[in-house]
Formats: sequence, C-alpha cells, structure tokens
Amino acid sequence: MKPVEQYWNPVLETLPREKLQRLQLKKFQNIFRWAYENSPFYHKLYSEAGLEPGDIKTFDDISKVPKMEKSMMKGVQGKDPYPYGDILSLPLEQVTEYRQTSGTTGQPIYQADSWQDWEGGVEAYCYALYAQGYRNSDRIFVPFGYNIFIAFWTYHYAGEKLGCEVIPGGVLNTEARILKMQELRATAMGATPTYVLGMAETARKMGIEPARDLYIKKITCAGEPGACIPATRKRMEDAWGAKVYDQAGSTEIGHWGWECQHQCGLHANEAFYLAEIEDIDTGEIITEPGRRGKMVITTFDRMAQPCIRFDSKDIIEWSPIDRCECGRTFRLLRGGVMGRADTITKVKGVLLAPASIEEVVRGIPELSDEYEVLVTKKGDLDNITLKVELTSGQERNVDAIKARLVDQLRVKTGLGYNLEFHDYGTLPRYDGKAKRFKDLRHKE
Amino acid sequence: MVKEYKIEEMAEKIQLLKQTANELKRISGGIQTVDRNVDRILASIKMLEINISDVVGTL
Repeated sequence: MKPVEQYWNPVLETLPREKLQRLQLKKFQNIFRWAYENSPFYHKLYSEAGLEPGDIKTFDDISKVPKMEKSMMKGVQGKDPYPYGDILSLPLEQVTEYRQTSGTTGQPIYQADSWQDWEGGVEAYCYALYAQGYRNSDRIFVPFGYNIFIAFWTYHYAGEKLGCEVIPGGVLNTEARILKMQELRATAMGATPTYVLGMAETARKMGIEPARDLYIKKITCAGEPGACIPATRKRMEDAWGAKVYDQAGSTEIGHWGWECQHQCGLHANEAFYLAEIEDIDTGEIITEPGRRGKMVITTFDRMAQPCIRFDSKDIIEWSPIDRCECGRTFRLLRGGVMGRADTITKVKGVLLAPASIEEVVRGIPELSDEYEVLVTKKGDLDNITLKVELTSGQERNVDAIKARLVDQLRVKTGLGYNLEFHDYGTLPRYDGKAKRFKDLRHKE
Repeated sequence: MVKEYKIEEMAEKIQLLKQTANELKRISGGIQTVDRNVDRILASIKMLEINISDVVGTL
C-alpha cells in the first residue's frame, strides 16, 4: 500500500520523532503566547507562576507551565464575555460554536469555538476515521441524539469531509435507527460501546441479527472505555460482524486519540496535541512505557478557548510497542483510556478501577452485557455489590458461573463481592454513556 | 518519507491562497457573502497550514 493511501496526512503521521517533538515545542510556544496575550484568565495564571512566553525555550520547560482543570472554571464562566468569562481569547463575535460538558463530575463547562477551531476538531477526527479505513465509499449512520454535547457531531462532519455519505439518525428511536440502517445498507457507525451492545440486543428482539442482516463493517466507539476492553470489544465485534475501533476525546480537548486498523492501542495525535502522562502521586512526567498516570494535555491550534496543560484525569499509559505496524510515528497508549482518576476509588483499602470489573463480566459469555456495581458503607466497612444478568437458559448453571465470577473478580480486582443474579432484561439499559458504577458511600 | 513530498512548494501555494483570500476580503466593500465565505475559506486554509506549512522549519 502506498503511504498516501494509508494515511490522511503522511507528512505528519510519519514524521520522525525528533522532528515531531520540534514541531510540538513550536506549537506549544505559539499557543502559550496566544493565551498569555489574549486571555486574561491565562495571563493571570501564568503571571502568578512567574512565566512569560519567552520562558518556554525547551521541551522540559513545558512542565513548568501550570496545569488547569475543570474546577478552575467555577469562578470564571457565567461572567462576561458571557457565558465564557475571561478564558475567552477571541472576540465573542468570532465564536460560532457552543458545546458544553455533561457536568457529571461537577459544573458543566461551556466551550466556545470559532469556525476555524471547529474545522480543527473535524480535521483531527478525519485522521481517526481515515486510519480506521473509512473512505468515500462508506455510508455512515450516526445513531445519536445530536444536542448541546460534543458527542458525534465531529464524527458526522469528519465523515462528510472524507467524502462519505452521512445519515443523521438523531431523533429516531433505536428500532427506527436499526430499520433505517438496514434499509440504506449503512456500512459504518459511531456510538458509545453501551449503545452498540444495546442496539444489537434490540435488533435481535426485532428478529434482526446485526452480523447477518445489517451491513455495518466499521464501528467507531467514543464516550466510554469499552472499545479498548478486550472482552467488550469482542462482544461488539461478534454481535455486529464488524471491526470496532476506539476513539478518545472530550469537549474541552478535542479528538486526541484513536485506534488504527491494527487495533493495538490508541495513537495520540501528536501533531495536534501534546499528551503528557503524570504520576498521580508525585506529579512526575512519565515518559517510559508501562507506568500508569493521568493525562495532562494541550490542544495546539484551538484559539477561542485554549486548552493548555489540561488535567484531564484520564488514566493512560504509554505502550511498550515502539512503532505500530501501520508505520505512524504517533506514540501508542496501551489499553486506551483505562478510567478516570476521579472514578478510581479505594474500596476496602484496595484501589479499584471500574473497567476491570467490566472486563470480567463481559468475558463470561453466559452473562448479558449489562451489570451494575454498588459501593456502600455500613459502619466502618465498605460493601461492594455486583449485579449481573444471566443470558437466557443459563439459570441452571448459576453455581458454576458464580464460582468463575468470584474467582476472576478476585484475580482482576483483588476484592470479594456480594453477587446478585438478575433475570435477563431487568437491569437498566442506556442510550448513551452508562452509569453502572455507583459509589453511595458519601450519601449514607 | 517526508522528503518525497513537495512540502515547501505546497507551503508557498498555501501562503498565496491566504494572501488572495485576505485581499478578496479587503476589497469586498463589506458584502457579507464575500466576507463570510472568505472566513470559511481562511479556516480551511488554516487546516492546510496545520497539515503542511507548519512542518516547514522542523525538517
């Protein structure tokens, strides 16, 4: 395959590492200067740290730049220039796009973008879709309720930019979406892992077997970690007869990471973003593979509301794979986004990442896709309850399934659970991001 | 691999496109359809700069 056919942009995607780093430093210097000179919020943040644009001379200087995080927006947004406050770095008249975060971890954050910023977000997504094999022969179905959140908007526009035919499945219900996908023979779609599995379940109830009766060959997942959890990915690929790819991004950052067709981790798009991994305890920047930390990320060319050294709280680690078979020089992240620093919690004194429970549940074929985890406290003791559903006809095997579940949960998470087996179809179903992990300790 | 592509030549053409777009806006006389379409063109040109022109100097 000629390089030009494999890459959206062979120039950047195969840039040698030392040149890529040089480009990153130049771009970091540019966005730092831009924010310092145009955003009162950033000017104050950096002035208080004793930093000016000329102080960022080397790559190592970047770590001196103060991080910013969502909670800092509390006193900033909701003021003039309304509603973005003084983080805004362009005249309000140049803002053409509004999106906001869901606010699941606190106050929603308003995100301003100029048309150029929006184009940049779409462009970054084009890298992902092209790497995943999307071409202008694809007919993409977007089974998502477009709204004030960023989710799947840029997937839609990136599909258009690649020359694909894009079908907006916005306000249709799940059954109608499935029928439309079948009628139009859609070849690709984008959704959360929860919804990909939920759609398959609904299709089967309609007498439609997705892998046999639909035409989907590529699925891009976003919004949840599932596509990089092997057991969840396998369930989705088996159900749909399609390749499932992970894509990582957020409202404040943009679409910073994606899997290529080799599916060996997320490529960080290092021409558009600077992804740093920080040790959660020490704050040290991790450059070697195999150590987990939280991602601190900079978006290089987003000007209206810059995102500079943003503490995303996403847990990631560099992959030991030096170079992906695809030939891209963008570094790989093993296992994608493994969770969030604010959802990894101590239960019974043990650090627990909810994704590891999912890996166990989805790895047992006699259990359905759904599960729920409740953490409660009685006196000084933590209790953790895992609710699962048996698939049809497995009721008589419950003891054997339970024994496997106990064993694998102990190995993967180091914890013992109260296990509850529920009838198929009785646990909650979700259309978007699922809320399966519920820590109720602080409410008791 | 980078040297296979005419990056500097492309960067020059991108710069020309930008100059032309800005010149068009300058002489538009405030015709909104000209100004707004040029703004969109300039955003697309910025994508070309990010993808091609910005690499010049790091090679």
